[in-house]
Amino acid sequence: MNINYKFITTLVLTVFSIYLVFALNTEGSERILLNLLTFAGIYGLSAIGLNVHFGWTGLLNFGHASFMGVGAYVTILLIPHAAGREGEFSTNGLPLIIALIVGVIAAALFGLLLGLPAIRLRGDYLAIVTIAAAEIFRLLVRDLESITGGVYGIISFSDSLQNYRPDFIDNLLTNFEFSPAQAWVGTLAWILIFVVLLLLKRLNNSPWGRALRAVREDEDAVRAMGKNAVWLKLQSFMLGAGIAGLSGVLLAFNYGSLQTTTFVPLLTFYVWAIMILGGVGSLMGPVFGSIIFWVIISETDRFAVLLFENANGQQIAGVRFVLVGLLIMFLMIFRPSGLLGKKEELLLNVK
Amino acid sequence: MIDQLGNGLLLGVIISVAAVALSLLYGVTRIVNFAHGEIIALGAILTLFFSGSVDSRVLFLDRFSPLGMNFVISAVFAVILCGIFGGLLELMLFRPLRRNSVGNIAVLVVTIGLSIFVRHIYLLFATGKVQNFPLELQRRETYLFFDMTPRNFKVLIVAVVVMITVGLILSYTKLGKAMRAVRDSEELANISGVNSDYIIFITWVFSSMLAGLAGIFQAIINDVRWNMGFLILLLIFAGTVLGGIGTSFGAMVGGFLIGVLVQISVGLPFMEGHVEAKNAVALAIMILILLFRPQGIFGKKERIS
Repeated sequence: MNINYKFITTLVLTVFSIYLVFALNTEGSERILLNLLTFAGIYGLSAIGLNVHFGWTGLLNFGHASFMGVGAYVTILLIPHAAGREGEFSTNGLPLIIALIVGVIAAALFGLLLGLPAIRLRGDYLAIVTIAAAEIFRLLVRDLESITGGVYGIISFSDSLQNYRPDFIDNLLTNFEFSPAQAWVGTLAWILIFVVLLLLKRLNNSPWGRALRAVREDEDAVRAMGKNAVWLKLQSFMLGAGIAGLSGVLLAFNYGSLQTTTFVPLLTFYVWAIMILGGVGSLMGPVFGSIIFWVIISETDRFAVLLFENANGQQIAGVRFVLVGLLIMFLMIFRPSGLLGKKEELLLNVK
Repeated sequence: MIDQLGNGLLLGVIISVAAVALSLLYGVTRIVNFAHGEIIALGAILTLFFSGSVDSRVLFLDRFSPLGMNFVISAVFAVILCGIFGGLLELMLFRPLRRNSVGNIAVLVVTIGLSIFVRHIYLLFATGKVQNFPLELQRRETYLFFDMTPRNFKVLIVAVVVMITVGLILSYTKLGKAMRAVRDSEELANISGVNSDYIIFITWVFSSMLAGLAGIFQAIINDVRWNMGFLILLLIFAGTVLGGIGTSFGAMVGGFLIGVLVQISVGLPFMEGHVEAKNAVALAIMILILLFRPQGIFGKKERIS
């Protein structure tokens, strides 16, 4: 049997980074770990969606935050919630599962909408269009205050999810100072990652998956084989956007409130960093990438404290993003295939 | 609507200057530079550092107070330093990438990383607060049919002069011809005796100086913020695309139009109470242009899909 060294290295690195959390934090390390695993699950799911766009199909999507946003806003607006400055709670709403399905479909349709102009454009133009569309979405959501709560956001929607929380989560967490609500969101995120990965694994080996990767390699050849390359690209856009929508919903439940400031371009860049770190085009890459990324992020506070005495929130955030920027640059220059990606599968040249 | 015309002209020239710089760089190097906004912010931040009053409450690195130099000299220094910064980026980052034939998309992602990195360096070490240049307040006056302060009117004039100069340089000097030659074909330019590495270096310096200048204009009219470049970057992209990406005159006109449109759209009836959405108008225009006339107003038709 062929030993996969890359996979072993990645596994060792992931275990080591989790070990770091315990080594660096003398107290509350379980709480920190649970928190970062929750975020890693949600962002990892989002990165899996982005990987369908960029890794599989070669679509340069820089508007990923808007897919997450559409999924989150549609779902949350359909379940009981309180929106806006007045924040009056409306008890009318759909059951969560139906709202979630509608939300994911809405995100996929937004992917289709964005894909329509985008598929006609070359890589770098596509990057500009998607980031612009994401900003239009964010500005509109912020301005439509009567529906979306605008800058005041949406609150009081968590019960729809937390009512389904199984008892064992509360029982398990009795020894830790950790919110069972967040643990439930995190558990769901990892269950969803598992389900989505199973689905994608099947798709990846199917004729459809092969056709998709063929689009990335040589679109003209795909056309010559009688496949509809445009429709394949659109399907990829919808699939990835749907997965992103799912992760957006989880992100909203994790925060317990829905704010437009969550869906800024920086969210997209976080997801990009995770995808590149894990390995572009690799199925499992974003999962490991996400864990390692969030360990790095959650331990940066130490750097911030080293650099500044009494670092404030802004400085900690600044140090985080300085690191994210450096990470993206260094990976792209020195190891564009990340931990698990294959170099020959990387689409990096505009044709 | 007319009330907004003065603001529109000002935003128009700022975006115009910045868009020319972005478009020139794209034309010569094929780099979509997402870090362009950070060079814009650098111009403003450096000017603030040089010109700010010594005993003002602005502090850089939490301990250095501004130098209190003459404003015009500060601005000139800042523009020169922006040029040096751009030149260093080319020499230390983008030239090695080109040598290793790193693909365009990888370079694009690198500029995004660079943008995030540099922007948050500003947040950490320069100024996280909204700051203003040490300039006295002025009353608005009427010029022709629009209102603006005398200082902003001066900015308008200087910007127009700068753009005419840039246009003349690109059209008539040997350097401009060499830039266009490299833009059309690097190999053919090299064969004809143009040192393309040198031209690309000069383009980086030139583009960064213009970006820094645009940042100073923006800061005079509005204020200095650590993320001011990123806030305006998408509008610059919109202007560049509208005029035709890679074309200099197109970018000038496109940038100007976007600026005016953004400000005028504030006065439209359906925009009432939605001032924040004005940028969405510009971005929507950009997407429509890319859909129906992807080469922009002045661009030549080329394959973009």
